[in-house]
Amino acid sequence: KMASISEMYDVGWEEMRDKLRKWREDNCRNSEQIVDVGEELISEHASKLGDDIWIIYEQVMIAALDCSRDDLALTCLQELRKQFPDSHRVKRLSGMRLEALERYDEANKHYDAILQDDPTNTAARKRKISILKAQGKSTEAIRELNEYLEQFVGDQEAWHELSELYINEHDYGKAAFCLEELMMTNPHNHLYCEQYAEVKYTQGGLENLELSRKYFAQALRLNNRNMRALFGLYMLAGRGTKENKCSMKAVEEMLESMQITMS
Amino acid sequence: MGEVELSCRAYIKMFLHSCLFPRCSINGLLLSSSPAGGAVCVTDCVPMLHSHLPLAPITQLALTQVDVWCSQTQQRIVGYYQANACVSDSSPTQCALKIADKIAEQFDNAVLLMLDGGKMSPDYRVPPIVMYERKDSRWMLKDKHTIMLRQWEETRAIASQMLESGDHMLLVDFDSHLDDITKDWTNQKLNTKIAELASPANGNI
Repeated sequence: KMASISEMYDVGWEEMRDKLRKWREDNCRNSEQIVDVGEELISEHASKLGDDIWIIYEQVMIAALDCSRDDLALTCLQELRKQFPDSHRVKRLSGMRLEALERYDEANKHYDAILQDDPTNTAARKRKISILKAQGKSTEAIRELNEYLEQFVGDQEAWHELSELYINEHDYGKAAFCLEELMMTNPHNHLYCEQYAEVKYTQGGLENLELSRKYFAQALRLNNRNMRALFGLYMLAGRGTKENKCSMKAVEEMLESMQITMS
Repeated sequence: MGEVELSCRAYIKMFLHSCLFPRCSINGLLLSSSPAGGAVCVTDCVPMLHSHLPLAPITQLALTQVDVWCSQTQQRIVGYYQANACVSDSSPTQCALKIADKIAEQFDNAVLLMLDGGKMSPDYRVPPIVMYERKDSRWMLKDKHTIMLRQWEETRAIASQMLESGDHMLLVDFDSHLDDITKDWTNQKLNTKIAELASPANGNI
């Protein structure tokens, strides 16, 4: 059998617990790692974790589903069910397990039951939309997500999900609209600027390419290590006019200063 | 249309690419170091994206850079591969057709390869791939009998072994290269590993 995590990395249970917390806070989806660390923590140090154990069970359960570890997911779920028998939060986790097992109808029943009890439960609504996505029903997923956003207009995660769905449907205009919403509420986020620039570039045409250039430049201003923005500018720069030749030179100089060659 | 041969190295890198990003749609370019004419021998591949496949700028950038690299290394771009995030649907998307069309402009016998995620588990013994070729400006399903994977059992075994050892974590696609410019999208390290694991009898690496 493989060495334990604590042996391999020479860490104690506190460091393992803290690592799990960091991954929770950063919303990382490194499920294989979470399963490795979490499974060991739970099986060998459960008694030391105090009330943290419940949120760790939830985190490990979701990661286990991601890795097709239904055995581990079920163990965590059963502990949570015992402790929180009437919880909507735990019911959502049961639903997620059914989703992982592709038992979508049963999963939907769970979420519908939650929504009957609590119509404002956003988590359940998002799971229902995720099911539509998993089933390849993009049009319905888009429609439901639009309806959701009419009610919960500040939900960043939902706006970004919608932009992704639109990009996959090649509906660049609507994707751009979603990214505009995100840029308005997150003016310092270089990733939204850069994604918006990529969408504009893809749409093509003089006006859109001009906007693309503007937003790649903005992304670079916000984060001068954003390589996509840098290359985006580079590609837009070499397009004919004298003004563009100047910006091409500026980009080349920037590339040189970062010691990157284009070969 | 003619025969297509898929090398061990090309298959394994595509396989590892899809294993590295199981929740994303992924794509990449198929390369050949063999002279034109006769069967198309796909000897290598360059993993490209795992996000925003339909968006143009990074795809164009990757195509340009791979083109330059190919001309320096006596290779050419002969095809395109893609694996969809949604496992139940392995048909080519609009963007797959677009990119494949572009490649076909430069190479008559270009191939479009879709990885079938649903058939990648260990219980399936046949290659989880579906190939298309261009006939009358449309992409048509290729006759399975014109697709060759030499030493398939061995290739399959190496792929599983590398996945078990976590070697897929070593794979670099163009997206990852843009996140960390020092990463090598030609994947020389992985090529070496694959060559080491393949038996000396398999000349078609």
